Amino acid sequence: MSASVSASDPSPAGPPAARRRSARGRYALPVAALAALSLVTACSGPPKAGGGTTSDAGFKLSAGTPAAAGELDSFTWALYAEPPTLDYISAFDYPQNTILSNVCESLMRWTPQLTMAPGLAEKASNPTPLTWVYDLRAGVRFHDGGTMTPEDVVYSLGRQMDPANGAAWNSNFSNVESVTKTGPLQVTVSLKQPDSQFPQYMATAAGVVASEAGVEKAGEDYGTAGSLDCTGPFSLGSWNKGQSIELKRFDGYWGPKAKSAKAVFTFLTDPSARTNAMLSGEADGGYLIPTESYSRLSNSGTGKLYFGEGLSTVNVNVTSMKGALGDVRVRRALSLALDRRGFVKAGLGGAGTVTTSLTTKAAWAEAPEDVRKAAFDGLPSPEQNIEAAKRMIEEAGATGKTVTIATSSIGQDVSLLATAVQDAGTKIGLKVVLKTIAPNAFTSLFTDPAAREGLDMFPETYYDSITDPMDLLSNFQTGAYQNYAGYSDEAYDALNDKARAEYDPAKRFATAAEMQKKAADQVLWIPVAEWPTAVFLNKRITGAPTTISYLYHPWAADVGAAAK
Amino acid sequence: MSFLRFAARRLAEMAATLLGASFVIFGALYLAPGNPASFLLGGRSASPEALQAINEHYHLDDPFAERYLHWLGQVVQGDFGRSITYRTDVSRLLADRLPNTLMLISMALVLVLVFGLILGWTGAVRGGSTDSAILVTTTFAIGTPSFVAAVLLQGLFAVRLHWFPTGGTGDGFGQMLWHLTLPAVALALYLIGMLARVTRAAMLDVLGQEHVTVARSRGVRDSLVIRRHVFRNALGTVLTTGGLIVSTLLVCTVLVESAFSVGGIGQLLELSTTTKDFPTVQAISLIMVALFMTVNLVVDLLHPLVDPRVSLDPSKKAA
Repeated sequence: MSASVSASDPSPAGPPAARRRSARGRYALPVAALAALSLVTACSGPPKAGGGTTSDAGFKLSAGTPAAAGELDSFTWALYAEPPTLDYISAFDYPQNTILSNVCESLMRWTPQLTMAPGLAEKASNPTPLTWVYDLRAGVRFHDGGTMTPEDVVYSLGRQMDPANGAAWNSNFSNVESVTKTGPLQVTVSLKQPDSQFPQYMATAAGVVASEAGVEKAGEDYGTAGSLDCTGPFSLGSWNKGQSIELKRFDGYWGPKAKSAKAVFTFLTDPSARTNAMLSGEADGGYLIPTESYSRLSNSGTGKLYFGEGLSTVNVNVTSMKGALGDVRVRRALSLALDRRGFVKAGLGGAGTVTTSLTTKAAWAEAPEDVRKAAFDGLPSPEQNIEAAKRMIEEAGATGKTVTIATSSIGQDVSLLATAVQDAGTKIGLKVVLKTIAPNAFTSLFTDPAAREGLDMFPETYYDSITDPMDLLSNFQTGAYQNYAGYSDEAYDALNDKARAEYDPAKRFATAAEMQKKAADQVLWIPVAEWPTAVFLNKRITGAPTTISYLYHPWAADVGAAAK
Repeated sequence: MSFLRFAARRLAEMAATLLGASFVIFGALYLAPGNPASFLLGGRSASPEALQAINEHYHLDDPFAERYLHWLGQVVQGDFGRSITYRTDVSRLLADRLPNTLMLISMALVLVLVFGLILGWTGAVRGGSTDSAILVTTTFAIGTPSFVAAVLLQGLFAVRLHWFPTGGTGDGFGQMLWHLTLPAVALALYLIGMLARVTRAAMLDVLGQEHVTVARSRGVRDSLVIRRHVFRNALGTVLTTGGLIVSTLLVCTVLVESAFSVGGIGQLLELSTTTKDFPTVQAISLIMVALFMTVNLVVDLLHPLVDPRVSLDPSKKAA
C-alpha cells in the first residue's frame, strides 16, 4: 500500500514509490511467452512440464488479450515514471522502452510470443561465425519523411558503440569489430569472436535504427525534445514534461496501421494513484501493476487484469561469501528452509510460481525437450524442509552465525522476502539481521560496492532482455557486473565462453543447462519464484500483449476498441 | 535604523546564508553513496573508456573545490548546468515544472489563509459549542499528515465520486485549477488546523487584555473592537506563523506532488535524488532555500508595518 510506503519516509526526499520499479527494473526483465492465442498458431510457447517449479493455482496465465474490434481516437496508458530521455541508446528501463518500442524499431523484432522475427531487416544471415549480414526492408520511411538507408543503420549502431556516448547497451557490442554498408540495402556486422547473444540483442533497443539526419539535427536535445525520427507505427507527439507523452499514428508506416489515432502515456509515480487512475477510467490500462492492487483491480468491474508468462524471477542475490554464506551448505540450508509458498501468497499477491531454478521456464522455450529436461531435472524441491536444513547448518558448524540481508519499504516483494529469509534462518539456528535500506538508496545496491558493504545478500527481481537463459547465467562468470559475491570458477567460465560462441540453439542450451546445474548446486543466488507479467485493460480497450514483449514490440499499435 | 538600511542588511544576510547553503548542498551529495555515471549506464557494466568519457563530460573526476567554484560561477549567471539523467538544461526542466508547484502552493496558501483565519476568528469570538466544534475539527486536521489526506481525498472524491481527477495538472488555467484542487486541499489541511489554532489563541490572548475590556466598557461596538483591537493585535503572531506555513508548504509539496502525480519541482527533486542527478538536485535545493529565505524576509519586512511596536533595530526587543 502506497500510504504505508510514504508513511515510513516522511522526509522531504519524498515517497519512494516510484523508485521501486527502476530499482528492480533494469535487471528484471520479464519475458513471457505462451503459445496459443488461436490466431497465432506459429508461436512456440515455453515448456510447461518438468523440474523444480510448481504451479500455484492462484492465478491464470493468458496467452494474449482479445483482438481489437475497432478503431479508437485515443487511449491513455499509466506509466510508473517519466522516461528521462527517449534516446534509444539510454533506453534500458521499463518507462522508456514501453513508449519507445512503438516509435523506434530495431533490425529484428520480439514477437508477443517472445520469439525473434524480422524487423527493419527482412533477413538476418550468418555466412561465417564472424559475420552477421542484415538485408534491409525496402521503402521504409522515417517519421520526418526520409527513407531508411544502410547509412542510417551504420550510424545508429555506431552511436551505441561510441564510448563517448555512454550508451546503456554498449557492452552488448563488446565483440563487434565493425558495422559497414555492404550493399544498397545491406549492412554487415563483423565480430571479433563468435557471439550468439549479439544477434538476439538486435531485437532490443540495442538494434534500433534512427534517422542519421534526424539525430544530427536534434543534436544534444535528441531524445528529450522534438522528434525521434524513427520508423515505428507511432511518431512522438507532444511531451508535456512531468505529466504525459502523446504518440500520434504514423500514416507512412510500412506495416499494419495502428488501431488508435493517439496513445497518451501519463506518469503516475505513486502506486495507489496509478491504481486509482485505472479504477476511475482516467487511464485505460497499464503494465507493471502494483502487486498490492491485484485484487482491487480484478474485482473492480471496470476492466480485466491479465497475467502473461514471464522471464522474471525473484531471487535472493548473494553479495558476499566472506561470512557464513561462504559455506555452500549454509546457502543450501537457507534455500531449503525458505517458505516460498508463503512468500508468493503475501509478497506477490498470489500471482507467482515457486521455483528453485534461477532461470524461468520461458527462457528455455527454444531448447529441445531433452535439454530443457536436463536443465530442470534434479533441482531441489521448492518445498520447505526445516529439519533437513537444520542438520545441514549443524554439519557446517554454522549454528549461531550471523547473516545480514537488506530490506526496504520499496515494495512488499522486497520487504516480505527479507522477512521470509529471516524467518527461515532463525528456524535453522542462524542469526539473520535485517538491514533497512532507504527506498531511494536501494538502487545503489546494484551500482555501488560501498552501498553493499556489510551485507551478505539482498532480494532482487531479475528479468531477461532476450529469450535465452544465458542472459542470467552469464552473471556468474568471473568479474561479471552482477557477480557481487566474486564467484570464480574456471570450468564455469569455460562453459560460459563456449555457450556464448555457439549459434546453434540446441548446442548452446545444452551448455547452458550444465551452467544452470553448477549455479544451482553452488546456490549462487537463492531462487524463490517466477513472477508473471501483469496488464490491466478497462472495458473500453483491448489487444495489448500480456507478455514482456511490450518492451521491444510495437504493442500499442494492436490496442483498439473492445467493441465496435 | 531606517527601513531601507534594515532591508539592505537583511538582504546581505540572506546572500551570505545562500552562499553557505550552496556549499552545504553541493558538498552533501558527494557524501552519499552512488555515482551518477552508474545510473546513466543503467547499472550495466561499461568499458573503462565509456566510464571515463562520462566522468569527463560531467567533470565528475575534477577536485571538489574546482567543481564547486565552477558550479557557483555558472549558477550566479543563471546557468544550473545540464541534468545528467534528463540530458537537458536544468533551467529548462525547472521552467517546465516550477509553474505547477507555484500554482499548487498558491492555491494551498489561499485555502490556509481563508479557512485558517475564519475558523480561528470564529472560535475565539463565538466560544461555546462552536468553539468546541472548531477545536475538534482542527485537531483532526492537524493530526492528518498530507500524504494520508492525499490517499483519503483521492479515494473519496476521485475514485468513488468522480468529482475530481486522480492526478496530473491538465491543460490551461481552468483545467489546472480543477486538477490541483485535491492536492491543494491535501497540502492545506494540516496548516488550516494550525493557523486556526494560532489565530484563536492569539485573539483570545488579546481579548483578555485590559484595553479591550476598557474599549468594550466604553460602549464601542463589539465587532469594531474585535477588528480594530483584537485582530490587529493578533496579526503579528499570525504573520510569524505565515513564514512557517510557506516553508511547510514547500517541504510537503514533495509528498503531495508524488501522490497526485503533479509534475512539479517537488516530484522532480524526489526522482533526481534517487538517480544522483547532481545538477538538478543542487538547483532545486538552492531554489527551495532561496524561496524559504525570501518568505522570511518578506515576513520580517512586513512585521513593522503591521505592528508599529516592532523595532527595526535587532538589538532592541519588540515593546
